[in-house]
Amino acid sequence: MAASAFGIVSSADNTIHVEGLHDYRPIGAFSFLGRFRVIDFPISNMSNSNINRIQVYVRSRPRSIAEHVGSGRHYNINSKRGKIQLLFSENSSSRSIYNNDISAYADNLDIIQRMHQDYVIIAPSYMVYKQDYRQLLDEHISSGADITCLYHKVDNAREYFRNCHTINVNRQKGVQSIDKNLGTANNKNILMDTYCMKRDTFVELVKDASWMSSMYTLADIVNIMCKQMDVRAYQHKGYFATLTSLEDYYHASMELLDYDTASDLFKAEWPIYTRTTDSCPTQYYDTAKVTDSFVSNGCKIEGTIENSVIGRSVVVRKGAVIKNSIIMAYAQIEEGVHIENAIVDKWAHIIHAKNIVGEPDAPQYIKRNDTL
Amino acid sequence: MAQNEMLAMILAGGRGSRLKDLTTKVAKPAVYFGGKYRIIDFPLSNCANSGIDVVGVLTQYESVLLNSYVAQDGRWGLDSKDSGVYVLTPREKADEGLDVYRGTADAISQNIDFIDNYDPEYLLILSGDHIYKMNYANMLDFHKENNADATIAVRPVPMKEASRFGIMNTDGNGRIVEFEEKPAKPKSNLASMGIYIFSWKLLRKMLIEDMKNPDSDHDFGKDIIPRMIEDNRGLFAYEFKGYWKDVGTIDSLWESNMDLLDPKNPLNLGDPTWLIYTEDVSTLPQYIGKEAKIKNAYITQGVRVEGQVTNSVLFTGAVVGPNAKVTDSVLMPGVVVEEGATVTRALVAENVRIGKKVKIGDKNSENIELVAKNVKGGTK
Repeated sequence: MAASAFGIVSSADNTIHVEGLHDYRPIGAFSFLGRFRVIDFPISNMSNSNINRIQVYVRSRPRSIAEHVGSGRHYNINSKRGKIQLLFSENSSSRSIYNNDISAYADNLDIIQRMHQDYVIIAPSYMVYKQDYRQLLDEHISSGADITCLYHKVDNAREYFRNCHTINVNRQKGVQSIDKNLGTANNKNILMDTYCMKRDTFVELVKDASWMSSMYTLADIVNIMCKQMDVRAYQHKGYFATLTSLEDYYHASMELLDYDTASDLFKAEWPIYTRTTDSCPTQYYDTAKVTDSFVSNGCKIEGTIENSVIGRSVVVRKGAVIKNSIIMAYAQIEEGVHIENAIVDKWAHIIHAKNIVGEPDAPQYIKRNDTL
Repeated sequence: MAQNEMLAMILAGGRGSRLKDLTTKVAKPAVYFGGKYRIIDFPLSNCANSGIDVVGVLTQYESVLLNSYVAQDGRWGLDSKDSGVYVLTPREKADEGLDVYRGTADAISQNIDFIDNYDPEYLLILSGDHIYKMNYANMLDFHKENNADATIAVRPVPMKEASRFGIMNTDGNGRIVEFEEKPAKPKSNLASMGIYIFSWKLLRKMLIEDMKNPDSDHDFGKDIIPRMIEDNRGLFAYEFKGYWKDVGTIDSLWESNMDLLDPKNPLNLGDPTWLIYTEDVSTLPQYIGKEAKIKNAYITQGVRVEGQVTNSVLFTGAVVGPNAKVTDSVLMPGVVVEEGATVTRALVAENVRIGKKVKIGDKNSENIELVAKNVKGGTK
């Protein structure tokens, strides 16, 4: 019988904070490309890789993740043989430096130890990519490594991938060290916070980390252990984005407006599942002018939209203009409003503020439920 | 929430042969409508929204796809304990030969055992091929208030068209005194919608009698309803005033889709209190390209538009290529209109590919053109 793994979807640690959006929900619950949430990507990757036992760790503000993930039926996971569990850290203060991934795993260590699968795949809820974890597991087993982590070569690490880790690898793909990305060079190997290892190795790492320092994260302990353990890197190819800052989030959304880039991430044979809201199709009125955009269902569009991502059930009235922006679900943009380089959060209602204009490298953020 | 006071049975056995090639491989209730739905999503969602827990779907013609489609009852939220959508095809029974459903009433008669499992007080009979939103719980209240034996939903039609319908003639209290199928000289304009609530005990008895009657067509409209009137039973007309359409022909299916282009259309599929549920798809949202021009359109997820779309309804995964023009048309799921092609006043069937620079349809045509096969593009 083939080796099997269970999945862990990890939560971003407290050094990562995305301006605005993050005040309302964890990154995994951020809306992405209109109809998805970020967490749909790691869970769909696991589901498509035949991983049907998945633990989702939620560090703070669980409502939106709990609501979205629910029973997990929509992720095509067998309802008897499979299960998605939402797990929480006992340390409820989201700002506490001790409320990190290791403390959440330590709090649930008995559950992890009881899993029947010999291996674990850990993937972040704050990055977007497509990966068959069976390949990662096969590679991990055949190499004989203790830990295999996924990385992506990038050439723009000065500007993006903030708050991410980089790895230094030798020629044999052995990981020498893990560092914070401090933007010192453009060409970097970004650690995708995705690991494959034996369940027992993982349990030992969690124990060691909590014993050494309650501030240690999984990346910290792997960094320390790569001196004495065989830690290898597996290169990911294809689309990759991290959503670890508002700029990264905006950049990723704008990048995917290129249809070829988007179709690389969305393949019919590798579906990205999400929870349906049963909204009806979108109504384009006589006066609508829409180009170069992703539009979700349930919208009513009378105005002009260029190069933007429009969430579900958004209303854009006559004469309103939206450019290079992300408009989230249920926002209403009234007549004559001009929005450019902005991120408008859910349920915002823009009536009187006629000009909301940000910079291409520093998008303007409009709060959830705001009426302007 | 268990109730099962009223069980629903959806008659979904018809072919819908006037829909021509659209129904050569699937039964009419499985035909697509409104960008992302199938026709049968309407009665099923109405049932779910009306608090009905158990729905039997009576299928017969080309039912493989329809059966597997409706069997996934979670789509309509009908998958909790004590609820479900059950496919009921004709089956071989121990003491009789293998019978097809001989008529609408016979389809119910042959499933009395199924209905008895739930021991309902009332039975709701629906048709699987109409587009409308209706709260059957209100109709049941009406049925109970009148202490009726049967309640028939009716809608007013223009008097001059009344001779095309089954017409109910009522007394001043809404009690049905006469039923006339396609009367030459109609006395009323209340057309039957093919939606009935029966008190089950009485109907059960009548169905058993009807099964044995060699002269019967075993049809609700032709046999059961006239018989009830003859017997002086309490039959009441329940008037429905909302949007209702029998999408029986290519033209009416097209027209009904076009109705959705009016932002104030009375069907209002966006009403969050009465959603229509359907199959879930894993696609990108709709992508509107750099050169696209969209005016007056109803478009769903997974669609990609690079060209021009005017007055049209685009279903899941349809693609309109660069410089292609789609006007006054309906593109069903997976249709591809290649570069430079034009499609006018047409209904293009699922997964059909219209080749480069091909011209389909005519803006002055009397009828809507149905395109059910791939059309090869110009060679140059």
